[in-house]
Amino acid sequence: MIDPAIAGRELGSFRVPIDRSKLAELARAHHDDDPVWYDEAAAADAGFDTIPVPPTVTVLADHWRPGGALGPALAIGADVERLLHGEASWEYLEPITVGDELTATARVTDVAEREGKRGGTMTLVTIQTDFANQHGQLVARRRDTLIETAGAG
Amino acid sequence: MTAPATTRLPAAPTTLEVGDRMASDEVGPLTRTDFVRYAGAGGDLNPIHHDEEFARDAGLPSVFGMGMLHAGMLGTRLARWVGPRNIEELTVRFTGQVWPGDVLSFHGEVEEIADSVATIALRVTNQRDETVLRARANARVRL
Repeated sequence: MIDPAIAGRELGSFRVPIDRSKLAELARAHHDDDPVWYDEAAAADAGFDTIPVPPTVTVLADHWRPGGALGPALAIGADVERLLHGEASWEYLEPITVGDELTATARVTDVAEREGKRGGTMTLVTIQTDFANQHGQLVARRRDTLIETAGAG
Repeated sequence: MTAPATTRLPAAPTTLEVGDRMASDEVGPLTRTDFVRYAGAGGDLNPIHHDEEFARDAGLPSVFGMGMLHAGMLGTRLARWVGPRNIEELTVRFTGQVWPGDVLSFHGEVEEIADSVATIALRVTNQRDETVLRARANARVRL
């Protein structure tokens, strides 16, 4: 059960390297195996100064976050069996590129309770993660809405 | 491995008008290997997405795909349309699950353009025409 008192809680900070082999793996997983996503020469040929990243590149944080992909869910005391990922959103503030060493800082920005469709209470938690690069620039802000559905009884 | 690289990934903002549509693209039928490949790439090792016994014990018919997998597929297709460096915002809402065997289609349409920024509505559908993800994006465009 999520305690509504977690609103505002800091979830810590960790480093996320943006490396070429993970970008190649992501491109292949996305079924878009275009070398522009991972090869400097191909990127230059397409008119990019450095290798561009896909819009969901911040998923790479899951490799480095304490506790992995489920780390935030466990940190907020969610019942993982009742937890859904409702929404994710990104603001892109500065370019992210291969070789960047990002620092991710996460906190709980909002907790809301709603009546579940079949009774009980469901809890919506918004987690905001700020990504800053090695030059101290805020490059991306990601928000995730996690939904803990109402319990069976 | 499929590559929808029929168009070059644009570096500069592209010219778009209200009503313009993203090039249609399909991925699938998806396999468990697709989920495992994404687990390794993206780092989501929740067993519900790769461990059949675990998924069945949880009452599911099989493993199912991570939402960020089809969100990521949509993201790269959006990037191929408007250019990866021109996307200012992206919001995805997960509205359904993706199963092995599903064939996904990716759709996008420009709804509005103001101050050189296009607002784009996007959707991922499956072979039953169910919407598994809805998204909105803002992207800088060339007028």
